[in-house]
Amino acid sequence: MEGSTEEEYKEKLLWNVKREVKQIMEEAVTKKFVHEDSSHIIALCMGPCALEYTKLKTSDHFWTDPSANELVQRHRIHGAHRGQDAAAGRRPALGIRKRQSSGSMSEDRFAASAREYVESLHQNSRTHLLYGKNNVLVQPKKDMEVLRGYLSLHQAGDNLTLKWTPNQLINGTLGDCDLEKSIYWDYALTVPLRQIVCIHCHQRPDSGGTLVLVSQDGIQRPPLHFPPGGHLLAFLSCLETGLSPRGQLEPPLWSQKGKGKVFPKLRKRSSTARLIDQDRNGEEQTAADYVFRIVYPGYRYDATVTINYHHTTGSRAPSLDDDEEEEDRLHAMISMICSRNLTDPNVMKDHGEMMEMQGFGGSPSSWQQAEVTTQESLCQSCSTAGSNLSFDYPAGCTCIHDPSDIHTVPLKMLCQNMKRQIVSRAFYGWLAYCRHLSTVRTHLSALVNHNIVPPDRPCEASGGLSKEVWSKYQKDCKNYKELELLRLVYYGGVQHEIRKEVWPFLLGHYKFGMGKKDMSQIDAKISERYQQVMREWKACEVIVKQREKEMHSAIFAKLSSGSSIDSHVLRLVHRDSTLSNEVFMSVDEPDAGSQETPSGEDSTPTMTTLVPPAALPPEERPMVEFDSPDSGLPSSRNYSVTSAHSQILSSIDDGQSTEEEGGVGEEGRTSSVLGGHQDSLTEDRLCSQLDKLVINGAATEGLSPSLSSYTMELLDTVALNLHRIDKDVQRCDRNYYYFTTTNLEKLRNIMCSYVWEHLEMGYVQGMCDLLAPLMVILDDVGGLEAALGLCYDGILDSELFELMQQNGDYTHFYFCYRWFLLDFKRELLYEDVFAIWEVIWVAPKISSQHFVLFLALALVTVYREIIMDNNMDFTDIINFIPGGVDVPCYGLCRSPALLPW
Amino acid sequence: MAGGSVSECKEYLFKVLVIGELGVGKTSIIKRYVHQLFSQHYRATIGVDFALKVINWDSKTLVRLQLWDIAGQERFGNMTRVYYKEAVGAFVVFDVTRGTTFEAVSKWKHDLDSKVKLANGNPIPSVLLANKCDQKKENSNNTALMDNFCKETGFLGWFETSAKDNINVDEAARFLVENILTNDKGLPYEESNGDRIKLDQEPVAAESKSGCC
Repeated sequence: MEGSTEEEYKEKLLWNVKREVKQIMEEAVTKKFVHEDSSHIIALCMGPCALEYTKLKTSDHFWTDPSANELVQRHRIHGAHRGQDAAAGRRPALGIRKRQSSGSMSEDRFAASAREYVESLHQNSRTHLLYGKNNVLVQPKKDMEVLRGYLSLHQAGDNLTLKWTPNQLINGTLGDCDLEKSIYWDYALTVPLRQIVCIHCHQRPDSGGTLVLVSQDGIQRPPLHFPPGGHLLAFLSCLETGLSPRGQLEPPLWSQKGKGKVFPKLRKRSSTARLIDQDRNGEEQTAADYVFRIVYPGYRYDATVTINYHHTTGSRAPSLDDDEEEEDRLHAMISMICSRNLTDPNVMKDHGEMMEMQGFGGSPSSWQQAEVTTQESLCQSCSTAGSNLSFDYPAGCTCIHDPSDIHTVPLKMLCQNMKRQIVSRAFYGWLAYCRHLSTVRTHLSALVNHNIVPPDRPCEASGGLSKEVWSKYQKDCKNYKELELLRLVYYGGVQHEIRKEVWPFLLGHYKFGMGKKDMSQIDAKISERYQQVMREWKACEVIVKQREKEMHSAIFAKLSSGSSIDSHVLRLVHRDSTLSNEVFMSVDEPDAGSQETPSGEDSTPTMTTLVPPAALPPEERPMVEFDSPDSGLPSSRNYSVTSAHSQILSSIDDGQSTEEEGGVGEEGRTSSVLGGHQDSLTEDRLCSQLDKLVINGAATEGLSPSLSSYTMELLDTVALNLHRIDKDVQRCDRNYYYFTTTNLEKLRNIMCSYVWEHLEMGYVQGMCDLLAPLMVILDDVGGLEAALGLCYDGILDSELFELMQQNGDYTHFYFCYRWFLLDFKRELLYEDVFAIWEVIWVAPKISSQHFVLFLALALVTVYREIIMDNNMDFTDIINFIPGGVDVPCYGLCRSPALLPW
Repeated sequence: MAGGSVSECKEYLFKVLVIGELGVGKTSIIKRYVHQLFSQHYRATIGVDFALKVINWDSKTLVRLQLWDIAGQERFGNMTRVYYKEAVGAFVVFDVTRGTTFEAVSKWKHDLDSKVKLANGNPIPSVLLANKCDQKKENSNNTALMDNFCKETGFLGWFETSAKDNINVDEAARFLVENILTNDKGLPYEESNGDRIKLDQEPVAAESKSGCC
């Protein structure tokens, strides 16, 4: 067992992966680019392999809802397949981000062709070129030759990037393919400046300067050797410009009148007033080493705390050789430690010490080659103050609050403002959501009765209404509370053998507590009424048939005589084209009597019977919209006939009813046919009586009932409905044992009677479905009508439901439509239908008026799992949600206990 | 799924409606086409039913037909607009043994055209099916009339079909799919293999196979 589920799991996984790959490949074929953020790639990367919820479901899963987490993850899988737009919008960036290089440029190589890269070194629309210098030397590795290359500083938005590219790649000596594969790519540098914390500057007399970039993690880049001529300074000033306003160099370059930017003057720390006069020989001649930090004042570093240290070695010689390296190494080490987020604010124990170390305020700033003083961008107190809304500086804070700090203050305010706005928006959003939930909850609670009758009080009800209990009730009906009986039905159903007796109560035909006498009284009344109704509509049916026959003969006569059809007949034709039962030709023999369509004659003039509506004179042209025989809605559509419209009658299907002949003289035969069938059925005394009544009725009404006793419209409507009923009756549950021809006829009779009484509504497809189970159980004409009435409310509600839906695009609710229309009758096996219907009928008293909604919810829940497990798209879903097939719904019919409360 | 490699095989999904008066045989036609079955006793369709037919159109094309079997009473129900949405083709069915159903055809077509169109504003390709032709006693030469009717009403063609005896069902479907494919921009349709139907020609296989004239 375990093995096979694993197999299945693997297979499913494989299938998922294959499907993703397929999508990706297709996308690649059809589109020029496949974006890294393409949902398919993302889905593959985070897909089945990465999820914890793709394990097979255990049996627990049948009874519990998957956790929200699981749903989300699951949904993310599925969401990746559909609507890329939606996915892309919602998805947080699990994209494949280009990693900024920290040394090698391999990503660049893949991201764009080499040529593009080289071109991007120049000024272009995407990035701003701040500085460019060729012949900057780099020794990429020890023991390698020094390479000449092009150094460029690019700005794109807030990002500064430093690039260095060997000349070999730029000067065009290499062909394109060589260019791609050149080893020199390994030496090219791309450095995002935000990674850099420190720049070491070394200058030699008569040679240019050297820059060493040190990044957060302590890695140094190969030194960049500038050619002499002030280029290093130029670079630094461009850098400083590029960094502003957010960032700056510490110490900033000084501006000198007439010279622009110059290196800041340094002081030795230990010395008091030693000034290095830089002006004398030109700065370039002086060997000077600087360490610049790149800082972003106004922004709190996460790794804010840096350790202050300083060389205890005294002043050091200006010469640089090993010291520099050692210093760099030391500094690198320190930086590494710093970046480990030592956020303990107490690291700076001695505030005074800190102040002194910072070297601000009192003592002149002393930058000295030997001295590497790493400083905080902000003093600690200011850092913490930065997170407060106020600007109270602790007394004694000496961090930079001087005028140059002005531009950072509003920045701080701006940040806090933004923070506040974001928080308040989030809050209001959450509040609105809560309100919405509350509304939803209120609505939902309206669906359920306030007091749900419990299943276990006064006693356990899951056994249902059994024969014993029922017979006890019958013996002493006054002593039984209705609610109690209903409770039993709700939680446990009705035992099958007694359904026939119980259902009339459930349906309201009898009232609980009635005695036998009352019940028989009701029965008598009902059956009398039923007979009356039958009489009426049967009489009408007679007329309808007769009409048809007349028209038959008229047409036949006209056609066979070859004369043209006058407009009157034409109108008749259109009103009832049973006449040309055959579309193309043959006209029925009026007294065919056989089941099949009679043969007719083939003559060309009859072609004209089939006149396309357009060819008719306008007044006879059938209206397009509203006089259809088979409009979906009841009421007005069905009956909105005025004499100006020619309504199309549907024929009464031939092979079905046994009343083939409409002639009065045939009545006797008809009834005897009927009588013969039904004698065998004990419960059908009614029908046989009925037949006699029909005959008598017909007789007393006169042998030729005149057309004028019924209006045209009425006749049309009746004919129409009869046709519809016939069509549906023939198709009603033919695979179920109960529906023999005889019973089908009973069905038809009941249906016709019902419709006769509700002619304005007419017959709607589905009514037979509702009637059928009732017939199976009750097997008696009496009371069926009433039962049907109860069920019909369901149909009505569904019509309303449908009307409501027309305004929304509930395309995915197709399957629900039939559920509600037929109270799930088609979704379940017959036996289950009985059980479900019982529960639905009693639910209003026990739990909820809208019980069907919960049933639907339960069904949906069951289906949903399957749908999701199998990754169904819309096509799959509509094929899956059962249509036309009896689907036993597991778990649904045990008891309502499974349902969501 | 088609066996061809990804780059070769193109897959289409077409939503096709099957509409017509109640009891004309829509469900039967679909069941015949998709499942090769026939029964007299299919239940009356409530709302809409669905079926999916996968056609190996050719070595490079796979067509999945999503057939929407719409209840005959629905024509003026409010659901039709929802059902029709984004359909690319339709069968309108009538019963040759009942004239009323034929009369209703133009109404169905009109309803269809008013509620759904192709992207270019044209009505969707529709084929008329004269079903239950097995019950027709005689065959008469009404082809010209039908052709005329089709032209006037806007059908691409018509077929006499019988779901019961499996007459012309596949042919009609093939005809419709061909027309849908030509509407679909993505397909280069230069390679005509001779079966291509010209709209102003006699519809292919309009006659039943049972040898009537």
